[in-house]
Amino acid sequence: MTGRVIVITSGKGGVGKTTTSANIGTALAKEGYKVVLIDTDLGLRNLDLLLGLENRIVYTIVDVIEERCKLKQALVKDKKNPNLSLLAAAQTRDKSAVNAEQLKDICDKLKEKNDFVLIDCPAGIEQGFQNAVAGASEAIVVTTPEMSAIRDADRIIGLLEAKEEIKSYKLLLNRVRPNLIKSNDMMSVDDVVEILSCPLIGIIPEDTGIITSTNKGEPIVNDENSMAGKAYRNVAQRILGEEVPFLDLDEPKGFMAKIKNVFAKLKAKV
Amino acid sequence: MGLFSDIYNTVARFFRPQEEQGEGPSKAVAANRLKLVLMQDRTNLTPKILEQMRGELIDLLSKYLEMDKELLELNFEQEGDQVALMLSIPVIRAKDEDEIEEAINASKSEDEENEESEGDNEDSSENAEDSEGSENPEEIENSETATPQGESGEEETPKPKKKRSKKVSQPEEIENHTSEKDIQQENLVENMQGE
Repeated sequence: MTGRVIVITSGKGGVGKTTTSANIGTALAKEGYKVVLIDTDLGLRNLDLLLGLENRIVYTIVDVIEERCKLKQALVKDKKNPNLSLLAAAQTRDKSAVNAEQLKDICDKLKEKNDFVLIDCPAGIEQGFQNAVAGASEAIVVTTPEMSAIRDADRIIGLLEAKEEIKSYKLLLNRVRPNLIKSNDMMSVDDVVEILSCPLIGIIPEDTGIITSTNKGEPIVNDENSMAGKAYRNVAQRILGEEVPFLDLDEPKGFMAKIKNVFAKLKAKV
Repeated sequence: MGLFSDIYNTVARFFRPQEEQGEGPSKAVAANRLKLVLMQDRTNLTPKILEQMRGELIDLLSKYLEMDKELLELNFEQEGDQVALMLSIPVIRAKDEDEIEEAINASKSEDEENEESEGDNEDSSENAEDSEGSENPEEIENSETATPQGESGEEETPKPKKKRSKKVSQPEEIENHTSEKDIQQENLVENMQGE
C-alpha cells in the first residue's frame, strides 16, 4: 500500500491549518481510511489539543528521529476512531531539531501502512515549512478572504510550484462570512480564486461551533448539524475523488437559518 | 450551547444595526490593493524600481510636455490574463519646438557626461534617441492648446504590456533592473512611503 502524503500549509498563521488538518483527517478516518496526522509545528504544537489527545502523548516526532522510540510507538491512536492516529510535535524543541530529509523518511515509512499521511505545517516559509513539505506530494493551501492571508498564500503557492515533488496543490478558503460578502465588505470566493488562480478544494464558512469544538477537543466534522463540519466532510469527499458541489452559503437551510432570515428581514425594514 | 449562542448572536445583531458595516463596500478596495501588491511580489517589481521607472518617464515626457509631476500616476491594471501598465499624467501644456530642442540637447549632454563616467543610465539615453527619431515638431506646435485636453486621460507608456508571468520566468527588462538594483533594497520601505 502506498498512501497519499498531503501537506496542509498557508504561510500566514491563524488561518486554520491545524483545524483543517484535524477535521480532514477525522473525516477521512470516518470514511474508513487509515490516516496519520503529523504535527510539524515543533515548539508550538496544537494538533493534539484539537483532537483531544494532549494527555496521551508519550513520544514525539523528535523522539522518533533521535531513535528514543520506534515510529509505531510514537503514534497516538484517536479516542473514537482507531483508523486515525497522531504523530505529535515536540513542545520543548524548535524547528532545527528536525531536517527535511528526516521528515521525508518518516513520511515514506508511514505511507506504506496508511492511506493518508496529513502534515500540519507551521506558519512561515522558513525551515519549518521546508521540512513539512519535503515528504509530501500534494498540498492544500489554507487561506481566508483577507488580504494578508491571500498575499501569504500567493507566496506559498509560488514556493510549492517550484517544488518538483509537489504534484498538485489546491486552495481551501476558510472562515468565509456570507453576510459580509453580500454587503461587499469581504472578497468573494470567486475574487480569491481569480486572484490566486488556484483550483479550489473547499469553502468553509465561519462557524462559532469551531470554538466550542476546540474547547472540547473534538473536531467539528463529528457534529452532523454544523455547516463547517459539513463543508469539511465535503473536502474529504473531494480528496477521495468525488465531485461534490460547493456549499451554497447564500441560502443556509434549517431552523436557525429561517429564524435568522426573519430577523434579517425585520432588520432591513428598520 | 450552539443553539443558545446562535439565538443570542442573532438577537444582539438585531440591536446593533451598524455592526461590521464600516463606511461602505471595502471589498473592491481590498481586491485592487491586493492585485497591485501581488504584481510586485510576483515580478520583483519593487517600489524602488517602480519609483525609478517613474522618474525616468517623467524625465522623458517633460521634454515634450509641461505637466503636473505630483499627480502623475503609474499603475498596473489587469485585463484578463494580461497586465497593462497605465500612466496617467495631468498635462498643463505642450512645449513649443524651441523648448523641446533645448530639453533634448540638455539631456544629450547629460547623457554624454554619464557615458564618460559610467554607462549606467543606458535606458534614458536610448529613450532620448528614440524620441529624437520620432520627433514631430509641427504636430506638437500646432496642437499647443489642443494636446492637453486630448492627452490628459490615461495613456499607455512606451513600455506597455507585459504578459503576466507567474514566478518562473520574469520579463527581461525587469530582470536587468533587479540584478542591478538588488543591493539597494534596504531603502525599500522609505520609497514605499514616498510613493
